[in-house]
Amino acid sequence: MREQGVRQGDPESQVPSPERVDYSSVADMSSLFSAIEKSTVAMAIRDSTILTGGLSGLHLIGLTLLLGSALVSSAALAGWIVNDQPIAEVTRATRRASIVGLCISVATGLLLVSFRLSMSLGTRAFRIKMLTLAAAAVFHFTVYLPAARGRNSVVGRGLAGVLAFLLWFGVVLGGCAFILLE
Amino acid sequence: MAEWLFHLCEQIEATSLGVFVRESIWGFPILVGIHIVGLVFSVGIVVWLDLRLLGISMTGVPVSRVYRRLMPLAFVGFGVMLLSGATIFTGFAASAYKNPYFRVKLIALALAAVNAIVYHTNIERRIDKWDRAPAPPVPARVAGIISIVAWTTVILAGRMMSYTLYMP
Repeated sequence: MREQGVRQGDPESQVPSPERVDYSSVADMSSLFSAIEKSTVAMAIRDSTILTGGLSGLHLIGLTLLLGSALVSSAALAGWIVNDQPIAEVTRATRRASIVGLCISVATGLLLVSFRLSMSLGTRAFRIKMLTLAAAAVFHFTVYLPAARGRNSVVGRGLAGVLAFLLWFGVVLGGCAFILLE
Repeated sequence: MAEWLFHLCEQIEATSLGVFVRESIWGFPILVGIHIVGLVFSVGIVVWLDLRLLGISMTGVPVSRVYRRLMPLAFVGFGVMLLSGATIFTGFAASAYKNPYFRVKLIALALAAVNAIVYHTNIERRIDKWDRAPAPPVPARVAGIISIVAWTTVILAGRMMSYTLYMP
């Protein structure tokens, strides 16, 4: 009886059409974004110039560390810095620094868009930046890191370094485009 | 505040280049993009020389080799950053003059420049004694720390400046 009552009173339990399922998931995402945008942290960032500026500075520091690491690492992988030492020794610090830079830039980036999530996701430059970021991260962990550790990789060391650098550089360019076009 | 300096900034703002930077739809965004890319390249590379001076990274590689291999790229980045930064300044010179973060940025830039001069004219002269040492001597490490602090301050102050340029 109880189950029946619930079903009768709940229009969502009627025979679902594909459109309905889609609309409901979009509504769920919208409410999630709205909740994030109205959270205490997001509101505090939105209302504070010091917080926004500081986070933006930290975001740029993270990207600088990430891209500098990718550049130095690709130079090392190409044998440009030294070629008489194990590559894992030379790239150890750059591997760690690139992870630290990635963590800083992702964490601060999420905080920076937290109060304008819907608006940001509606921007083409932001979506391109996120796609480039995803591609760079996948490449970083599946191709670049094994090469930088001196293990076998699907592409040569030098090429892995150059591609990793270009992908991270694409993320920086996407970030510039997002800042300037929003 | 030196009045003559403020008037000079106002005159810089009134130049045709300043008006272009301030009023063009694409000129300013493109300049800022180039400035950020130049900064990421230069500081992103310099920090690795600093980390080598601190004995943290690439300890098996001579300092002079790290410098020779990496710094030419960093110099290109510095050139791009300084040129684009100076051009952006022409559009907002008077507002920048009054902004405290701009002053912090200039002080940090001066500190980085003096640190580099002291390193090249003094510390680096005896590099043959510590070039291959995993941990360079204290003066070299201090130069590395000062450089990292100065450039971090430049980036933070630069971003703060862009958020507070027109605040009263």
